[in-house]
Amino acid sequence: MAVLDAGAITQATAGNREARTAWGLTAPALLLMVLILLVPVVVAGVLSFTNYSLGNASFDWVGAENYERLFTRSTYEKMFIATFTYVVTVVPISVGLGLGAALLLHSLGRIGDIYKTIYFLPVMATLLAMAIAWEFMLHPTIGMVNRTLAMACGTWLEVVPFVANGCAGGFPLWLGDRDYAIWVVCFIGIWQGFGFNMVLYLAGLTAVHRELYHAAEMDGAKSAWERFRLVTWPALGPTTVFVVTISCIRAFQVFDTVEAFWPQGGGPNKSAYVMMFAIFEKGVQQNLIGMGSAITMLFLAFVMSLTLIQRWLVERKVHYG
Amino acid sequence: MTREWWKHLVLVLGAIVVLAPFYMMVSYSFKSPGEIDRGEGGFFGRQETMIDPRCVALRQPGRAEIEDASSRFPGQDDADVQAALLAETENDCSMRPVVFNYTKAFTEAPLLRYLLNGVIVTVSIFLIQVVVALPAAYALAKLRFWGRETVFGLVLFCLLIPVHAIALPLYIMLAKLGLTNTYAALIVPWTISVFGIFLMRQFFMTVPDDLIDAARMDGMSEFAIVWRVMLPTAIPALLAFAIFSIVAHWNDYFWPRIVVTGNRDLFTPPLGLREFKGDGDGSFFGPMMATATVIVTPLIVVFLIAQRRFVEGITLSGMK
Repeated sequence: MAVLDAGAITQATAGNREARTAWGLTAPALLLMVLILLVPVVVAGVLSFTNYSLGNASFDWVGAENYERLFTRSTYEKMFIATFTYVVTVVPISVGLGLGAALLLHSLGRIGDIYKTIYFLPVMATLLAMAIAWEFMLHPTIGMVNRTLAMACGTWLEVVPFVANGCAGGFPLWLGDRDYAIWVVCFIGIWQGFGFNMVLYLAGLTAVHRELYHAAEMDGAKSAWERFRLVTWPALGPTTVFVVTISCIRAFQVFDTVEAFWPQGGGPNKSAYVMMFAIFEKGVQQNLIGMGSAITMLFLAFVMSLTLIQRWLVERKVHYG
Repeated sequence: MTREWWKHLVLVLGAIVVLAPFYMMVSYSFKSPGEIDRGEGGFFGRQETMIDPRCVALRQPGRAEIEDASSRFPGQDDADVQAALLAETENDCSMRPVVFNYTKAFTEAPLLRYLLNGVIVTVSIFLIQVVVALPAAYALAKLRFWGRETVFGLVLFCLLIPVHAIALPLYIMLAKLGLTNTYAALIVPWTISVFGIFLMRQFFMTVPDDLIDAARMDGMSEFAIVWRVMLPTAIPALLAFAIFSIVAHWNDYFWPRIVVTGNRDLFTPPLGLREFKGDGDGSFFGPMMATATVIVTPLIVVFLIAQRRFVEGITLSGMK
């Protein structure tokens, strides 16, 4: 009996010791998590109801005024339009191109590896540097894009209205034109991101069992499209959920290109005034921290709900088909 | 092959669009300003020697120099000496465009310093992330303790918060602590990687308990187990995480842009390039593209060498 007790006690102390070590090992991470991730969210939440500025000793509570402005001022309307235009354009196209490239490369086998390397380069490259390179490419007079377009002048390609107009009245200014600005930013977003999606899809494709295709063929799925619809696409469901979520989160965070092209103002007529740029401009450059915090909170709400939807979909093991 | 030609056509067209800005960046870094303006010279430019106008302007011979030099040119009057000196200067200031562009990239701005800062920041971030995340991941995966589920729940919650999104409150907190414009400001917000904790925890779950028990039998402390037993088993996952972390922070522009203002000594490579663009005029396209090439090259080269690892590392984020 006494022996048993002693055993229980040593076990209990061992358990205690394990718990103490465990807390010791997690403590630094826990502390940093709270200080660097959770406290700032609370700080932003509180400041979004004030008119605080760095350097001021005090601040006033302004209630929901910042949020009210967010939904009434035309500047912020432009911000929402630019952000959602970007997200709604870049996400489907970069996911679609990623999937398309992955399917093509998968069907080609090892010869396709060279394309994989090439398409992945923009993911590795410093986006800011590449944005500047694109800016040169799109330079209205000496840029490679307009020079290439100008080569089409005087050829049969002039039947395309865009080319004909360009030859007659000059090709677009691209970054200086408010009709094109946001689309150029979208294009660069797609250019940079689709290789990443392609790699994720390639990983997903290697996990699809060959037998499934045979089974589908037995069931009468003769065309490539049928096989894709019945086997590949459903099998890629989890990959798609992940790829779409991560593309959305990255798309919401677009900043480098906009800041590189238009350090002041976010594009002609604020047509590329995306949320991250707005946070930077209001909160950091103009020191309107209340306003910047309100945008931050809204931004967090968007990004967090996206991830929550993703987790919900993954947990329900939804396969789109 | 014949049936697959259309696939190659599509993929080659895609590759041209993807490579176009890289082609242009490297090509401009070789060319002289004139060639860039007129769009000539193919990929490498003609590499005719060019005269750097700024260098000549700086070394305009004055009265004193002409008198000093007159002994070297006996029997000539001042105008002739001046002309001879100018010719010498032009000779000294002439170089191939590629040399001009790359020397300007390193001399107009302290590019080496920027690169060094980039290395300091990315390496410190990665090392601190590992030191913080690894023990936590081990405890969450292998130790039983009260509150473990709560801590793990917190990790899952924090995965929802992108650090860029909370940049403004972080900036305010750092400003209040007087830490803006320091290395600490560049590094501190990234020291905690919840993604790293999550990733390593998932990896540690697959490590057999026997290994740890054996280590305990040998009298190793838990702390020693983390670094001497778990770390070696985790090398593949750690390598993938390293690639993920280093790529993200070498290329990051948003955060350095916020916390480093004006102090050039702290500029990371993207900030340096931005500054270069800010005060460059038209004739500086060449040196600027040389700077861009220098900044982009290290990661691309390592990527081309260890492609498989990179792709794995980047895809690992898809394991969630």
